[in-house]
Amino acid sequence: MKSAPFIMHQAQSQSNILDLLDKYGEDARIIAGGQTLIPVLAMRVASPDHLIDINKVEELKNFGVSGGVLQVGAGVRQSELENWSGLRKTQPLLSMMFPWIAHTPIRNRGTVCGSIAHADPSAELVLALAVLDGSVTLVSKKKKRVAQAKDFFRGALQTSRQSNEFIEAVQFPIRGPLAGFGFSEYGYRHGDFAVVAVAVIKEGDLWTIGFGGIDDVVKVYQCNAKSLDEANQFIDELAAKVEVREDPTATSGLRRHLMRTLGARACQQAAEFKSDEIR
Amino acid sequence: MKSYQIRLTLNGFEREESCESRTTLLDFIRHDLGSTGTHAGCEHGVCGACTVEVDGQIIRSCLMFACQADGAKVNTVEGLAQSGKLSDLQSAFKKHHALQCGFCTPGFLLSAEDLLKKNPYPTELEVRGGLSGNLCRCTGYVGIVEAVLEVAAARARQSGGEHA
Repeated sequence: MKSAPFIMHQAQSQSNILDLLDKYGEDARIIAGGQTLIPVLAMRVASPDHLIDINKVEELKNFGVSGGVLQVGAGVRQSELENWSGLRKTQPLLSMMFPWIAHTPIRNRGTVCGSIAHADPSAELVLALAVLDGSVTLVSKKKKRVAQAKDFFRGALQTSRQSNEFIEAVQFPIRGPLAGFGFSEYGYRHGDFAVVAVAVIKEGDLWTIGFGGIDDVVKVYQCNAKSLDEANQFIDELAAKVEVREDPTATSGLRRHLMRTLGARACQQAAEFKSDEIR
Repeated sequence: MKSYQIRLTLNGFEREESCESRTTLLDFIRHDLGSTGTHAGCEHGVCGACTVEVDGQIIRSCLMFACQADGAKVNTVEGLAQSGKLSDLQSAFKKHHALQCGFCTPGFLLSAEDLLKKNPYPTELEVRGGLSGNLCRCTGYVGIVEAVLEVAAARARQSGGEHA
């Protein structure tokens, strides 16, 4: 369980990061929290020649609300956002999800952008970005672009990031004060990746329902339902007809069952949602 | 090969050693600094045996490279006992048989201290939640939870807290 040798570059500024990425491209990996990357290196699933450590770049350690979105910089730890007093009001869904993301020591070091960059379809933050229709800001030495979540996530651990691009920040759009949120997840142990996770946003009769863990990317569906029963019926029909992943951890039948049960739970939570009662 | 010079504060003492870029903080503490109290379990972030405190935050020392900890303040299980006397938490672990083989104990002690720092009056469920990142294959966790709850109550009494 030891990484192969590599050269560590301590980036001092964002332009420094972009220069290094421009120079080494595919041979380099960005390391922020490293909570996914270091196990991958230790098991030698990957062995890049260069690591670019961004932990000393102060300009990336900012998060805040502007223009109707919660923007989170590449250096922001998950626990920083989790412990931010304004999180429940601005992004209730994230507030509901954080206790489900690994454990305290991992959230103390892991970053929000790192989780998005890794693009695991059963990761909670990936589900949040997809269901909130958020976006990712990518910069390279030559240009800066913003990719919507649905264009950014291409498959399991696959994104539209080019090898010279750096994820500068991610944006979670803030929903109106009348929106209701629900989240439910099943995993084999507390803190593990979800077998299936469901996030629901209810805005009047419009329900946006995202499923993590059922396919190579988070699947987001919308329906118009006047009652909780109608929303549950929509999920029932969905679970019967959509393609669902089957792997050694769970059969597709179990995943369909979880879509229904967790979906019903998350919908009920969204229907009864009151922003001051989270957790 | 050992081209990185790392200087950090380990349990209040300034230490300096050289290591490779790929050396984890865990291996650096154990092999290069010789403090073997922190244990290497799974070495990929699952078991929690290697939990240490870096700049006031508990982290997995197997999931951080030593060269990222240059200049940091690192506290490990060796820092808990004062002048050869076990801390209250360590004594409670002993009393409640919260360890058998002891392999996971350094991680549990650091996680429990962090939990009590953030939440001095935890419920049993909160203790279990706070320690969920640490695995123990001997005790079944009952003794560990009892030890942490007892220390929480004792500390609350000492500080004259209203929750006591």
